[in-house]
Amino acid sequence: MGEISLGIAALKLVGYGLATMGPGIGIGIACYGCCVGSARQPELAGRLFTNFIIGAALAEALALIGFVLTFIV
Amino acid sequence: MNPLEVLAAEVPHLQHSFDPAYVIGSGSFGLTQYIFWMIICFLITLAVVIVAGKKLTLVPTSKFVNMVEYGYEFVRKDMGESAIGHGYQKHIPFLATLFFFILISNFVGLIPGCKTPTGTISVTWALALISFVYFNYWGIRAHGGWGYIKSIAPSGLPAPMVPVIWFFEFISMVLRLLTLAVRLYGNMFAGHMVLGIFALATSVFIQCAIATGNVAFGLPPVAWMLFLIAMYALEVLVAFLQAYVFTILSAVYISLATSEH
Repeated sequence: MGEISLGIAALKLVGYGLATMGPGIGIGIACYGCCVGSARQPELAGRLFTNFIIGAALAEALALIGFVLTFIV
Repeated sequence: MNPLEVLAAEVPHLQHSFDPAYVIGSGSFGLTQYIFWMIICFLITLAVVIVAGKKLTLVPTSKFVNMVEYGYEFVRKDMGESAIGHGYQKHIPFLATLFFFILISNFVGLIPGCKTPTGTISVTWALALISFVYFNYWGIRAHGGWGYIKSIAPSGLPAPMVPVIWFFEFISMVLRLLTLAVRLYGNMFAGHMVLGIFALATSVFIQCAIATGNVAFGLPPVAWMLFLIAMYALEVLVAFLQAYVFTILSAVYISLATSEH
């Protein structure tokens, strides 16, 4: 039983690691878009940054759900 | 004496220090260390705002008042005006309270020996719940009860799609409560854990180098120390950024709840 519960604990960590990959890529792309957009039009930088934060929060929600699932499953 | 084995044996003690240990009382009634530091952060926030409010002048001369006014302007211009837009003035006291409390909580945790109140899920859960109730309250005030329920789904959808989209938007709205709480908790807890691991590694490697008299063990602590300083600088940024993110997301949710679709 000890090995099985250890295996489940390890799988939870692997699952959380997989869950962070998608949001990581997504936030990276969003940050790229925000940087490029504000370099072209610096006067829009404030609004772009707000939108970037919203998009990053939506993408990050998936990673956070993965983080919570490691505790509750 | 292998420093890596000593480090692995010490990590449970580090994890144990993050438990909500009782400062006063025990069992079902008492004050855990996180709540103790939360009360201290309340008092610091109160003192900062009251002292700055007493000394208000048209042209701020003292550095302290200038700093607090800059923070207030930051909340008002960068968060309130740009995220909420029309009618942002009445939400500024709420947002400024959130921002100053979370910022001071996060920075108090960076002082060695202090605990960050936002490093426990119960405090961040309470903060997220306050924000959640607040933006729903203003949404219901702006649209009326039934109007607010309908406004969760964006208007202009074809009729058969409305229940499906409404369902997903509703799930996403309820998940805001979870993500607000877990984002702040996860960032602060994990950040302090990383700082703790690096600090522990530095001291364990130095102890092993002294105990064995092996000079080769003396070199890694220098690298650990440099990592620790770099991570500490990153944590200072994260402490500010998480306070900013929590406040601006609250502002965005208020604007989504109150705006006309």
